Formats: sequence, C-alpha cells, structure tokens
Amino acid sequence: MSLLEIADLRGGYGEVDILNGVSLTLEAGEIVTVAGTNGAGKSTLAKAIVGLLPVVRGVLNFEGQGILGLPPELRMARGIGYVPQVANVFPSLSIVENLQVVGGVANQKARMGELLDAFPALAQRRRARAGSLSGGERQQLAFARALMASPRLMVLDEPTAALSPKMVADAFERIRALPRFGVSVLVVEQRARQSLAVSDRGYILDGGKVAMSGAASALLSDDRAASLYLGRHAGR
Amino acid sequence: MSNFPQLIANGLVQGLFIAMAALAITLAFSIARFPNAATGDVMTAGAYTGLATQSATGSLILAGIVAIFTGAAISLAADRLVFRKLAGRAVVASLVASIGVAFVIRAVLGVTFGLSQLVYDIPLTRAKLYWGVRLTPLDLQVAGAVALALALVFGILHLTPIGRQMRAVADDRDLARVSGVRPERVMLALWMISGGVAGLAGMMLGIKTVVEPELGWSMLLPAFTAAILGGIGSPGGAVAAGLLLGVVQEMSTPFVGFNYKLAIAFAALLGVLLWRPSGLFGKREGVR
Ligand SMILES: Nc1ncnc2c1ncn2[C@@H]1O[C@H](COP(=O)(O)OP(=O)(O)OP(=O)(O)O)[C@@H](O)[C@H]1O
Ligand SMILES: [Mg+2]
Repeated sequence: MSLLEIADLRGGYGEVDILNGVSLTLEAGEIVTVAGTNGAGKSTLAKAIVGLLPVVRGVLNFEGQGILGLPPELRMARGIGYVPQVANVFPSLSIVENLQVVGGVANQKARMGELLDAFPALAQRRRARAGSLSGGERQQLAFARALMASPRLMVLDEPTAALSPKMVADAFERIRALPRFGVSVLVVEQRARQSLAVSDRGYILDGGKVAMSGAASALLSDDRAASLYLGRHAGR
Repeated sequence: MSNFPQLIANGLVQGLFIAMAALAITLAFSIARFPNAATGDVMTAGAYTGLATQSATGSLILAGIVAIFTGAAISLAADRLVFRKLAGRAVVASLVASIGVAFVIRAVLGVTFGLSQLVYDIPLTRAKLYWGVRLTPLDLQVAGAVALALALVFGILHLTPIGRQMRAVADDRDLARVSGVRPERVMLALWMISGGVAGLAGMMLGIKTVVEPELGWSMLLPAFTAAILGGIGSPGGAVAAGLLLGVVQEMSTPFVGFNYKLAIAFAALLGVLLWRPSGLFGKREGVR
C-alpha cells in the first residue's frame, strides 16, 4: 500500500479545471519531486492534497483511506504537513506561538523543545514576531510549524524559492534527512535538478497532467526532460 | 475658558465606548472578514436587556452579565442564521446582510421595549474634583468596568490557546486550517467575544446616557472610524484609536460645537485614509 495514492485527479479554483487527471504515488520513506514549468499546476496539486483546493474529483488516498472528503484540519490530523509556497508562517504571532498554535500535538512542550533544538536560529529569537524574520528564518519556522504534529507526509511547495544560494543547499539537506525521522516528502520545486538530486523519484507536470515520471536519476539524465523541463545540463 | 484636562477626561470616558465598539468590529473584521454593521444594534440590545435586568433585580452586576450574554447570543445566532451562509461570497454581501440583521434587532427591541427613552435607575452622585477634573463616581466605575473588560479580552487573545488560534486565523485562515485549527471553534469564540463586548459596551453607554433605539446605531460611525484609524484588524490599535477619537471629539466641541462631533470623526478618518492608509497603528510588514 502506498502512503499517498493519487489517480485521475481533476479540479481547480472554480469552473475551469487546472488539474486534468493527475496520477501519482508516493511510498513511505520516499522523497518525490514534482517539477514543471510556471503555471503547470504544481501548487494546485499540493493544495489538492492538503485540502485547500475548492474543486477536486478523482482518487486521493492517504495510508489506504480516501481523504478527498476531509477538510484541511482533519487531513493534517491524519498526518499530512504542509509548507505553502508563500505566506507560510503567521506573521503577527511569535515564533513560539507559531508552534503552539498547531492543533492536536500530544506533548506540546517536549515537541517544541525538540524542534527548537533542531532549528537553533529560531530558539535564539523565540519571542520575535514571525513577520520580523529573515527569509531563511521564516522558512525554518515554516518547516518547524509543519513538523510540530509529527506528520508522516510533508508537502513542500517551493521550499527554497525565498532563500539565498547558500541556504538552498542547507534546505535540501534538511529535506534529505526527513525520511530518517519517518517523514516522507512530496516536494514541488523550480530548482528541479537540485531537488531531484535528493529525491528517489520525480514527476513532471505540464498543463495539469503528468508529462514524464520516473526514477530521479533517470529523469536527470533524460535528454527530453532536460531540454523541455529542467533547463540545460550543467555541463553543456 | 475651556478646561482642557476636563475635556480630555470626558473624551476618554466617551472614547472607552468607541473603543469597545471598535474592538468588537475589528475582531469580527479580522476573523470573519466583513465589517459587521449589526454591532451597533447588538450594543442597543445589551443596553435594553441590562436595563430590564437591573430594574427587575436591582443588580448592576447581574445586568452586566445579562448584557454580555445577550450580545453573545444575538451574534452567535446571526452567524448561524446569516453570516455563515455568506462566507466565501463577496464582502459586500455580508455587509448588506449585517445591515439587515441590525434592522431586525432594532425591530425586535422596539416591539419588546417600546420606542421611548429609558434610563437606568441609578442614584445620582455628586461629581468630585480629581486633580481639577470633575468626574462622578459613576464615570469612574464605568471606566473601570470597561477597562476590566478590555483587559480580559486582550488576556484571552494573547494568553489562551483559543486566543492564539483566533489571531492565527486572522493572520491566515488557510494556514491555520492546515495547522490543525478548527475554524468552527474559532468562529464560536469570535462571536461570543465580539458580541459580549458589544453588549456590555451598550449597557455602559446606556448607563452613562439614555437607553433609546438609536443608541448603538449612532455609535457605528465613530466605531468604524476608530477601527480603521487603528489599522483594520488590530485590536490594540482599535482601542487606542477609539480613545483618541473620543478625546479629539471632546476637544473640538468648544470650537465647532456639539453638533459637529461626528464631522470631526469623519474628517479624522479622511485625513488618516489619505495620509496613512494602513491606519495610525497599522502593521509594519507589507501585504503578501
Ligand atoms: N487562487 C487561484 N484562483 C484561480 N486560479 C488560480 C489560483 N491559483 C493559481 N491559479 C491558476 O492555476 C494555474 C496553475 O497555477 P499553480 O499555482 O498551480 O502553478 P505552479 O505550477 O505552482 O506555478 P509556479 O511555478 O508559478 O508556482 C495557473 O494558470 C494559475 O493562474
Ligand atoms: Mg507554485
């Protein structure tokens, strides 16, 4: 049984479908990249998984159970964490409050301690308002917030978009480490090459459909994927 | 000839009522995301039920509790019957609906309590001089009660889990939901607090002035002004702006006369909208 199973998923924000039949699976312990050009529907797919897309039809199973009818807060309670592309922290809440506000955490104090240990930059400024944080700190807080309830799947929408080049590498390292803590990852990325490099498999979306998919290494060496979707090979 | 400390003191007392109404409005705006024009008439309802309770039992404390519960109950009912059904539609739809709710509340109050002016039966007390400012003990009691209520609301917002959830939903509803915050619970808390604050504000204003059908409605413009001046969605800003507006209105009366108080409120509103669109105390960080 796959951790996440998506079949013929369609839907969007109103009358017009943005997703035109997406099929995708993610096994427990995997990191899977979803790449694609601007407007391909990557963020829309992420929203469909976490429950924020207004119109969705098709199959969406998490741990073998259909979750399409569940509101976002109950999908989160089932074990799906989400870091949106923009607006991924509560700006007027402090760092600590951003973590405390997460619902359904068994031992809140202990869990918060763990996460603040894992993100020392946050621990130093725990009373600071999230709105005053730098891009990198904000991203760390968004990660910590999403990890607060110990999810089994993290859906990350362009986690490196707002980061400086040096911090991008750190962020991918952090993502690579997640499966060791029992967290599988679906990561939407513009930096497809770097993302595939830490992933097991990848999907490339185009026009709301899966255009290509396969092992990350295979996609990275595929000429068609390279020329159409991933930018030129580094060496060429 | 005018005594400025006296005007400031009067303005602050007046400003407390504006502050409470503005707080009720700004909370609803930041969480339910529409300007609730029924707030004024929820105040009126609190003034009437408080008065009825006081004349039946003689207890002002009990009257205050009843006024708070009245405001909360009406607001919860309006949410359940009307506002909730319009969530997700254009803001104007909710605004117009809230005006409708306001008229329904006023009609029910009119049928129940009549249309004539009523007063709280409170023994008149002699004003005393405090540092050259003339205030009645009643003024001080009302101000104390309002200050207590404001402190309680801010305590809830900043020190309790439900308050934290309310502020999270105000920041970003979708992010709150994917963080496991249940919107129904937050809406329940919002309408209880916003309605309770309005109900109590109405009763306090009724004690200070007279209870009549337009009591709350006539507070709506200054209250909206304060909510905007304070930076819409900022509870602290709304309270500060409410006090400021009360003082500005009082200070201006020697110059422009009592009848132009509202014009002063409007002028202040226009000035701030043109000069600082995010309000006097608006949030620093930009929109996303
Ligand atoms: N809130 C919305 N309401 C209506 N249409 C939307 C909304 N958000 C996105 N869209 C549309 O859906 C399509 C896919 O957008 P989406 O954000 O999923 O793309 P993306 O692949 O994430 O692109 P990017 O790389 O720019 O983030 C676009 O045509 C976009 O205009
Ligand atoms: Mg996107």
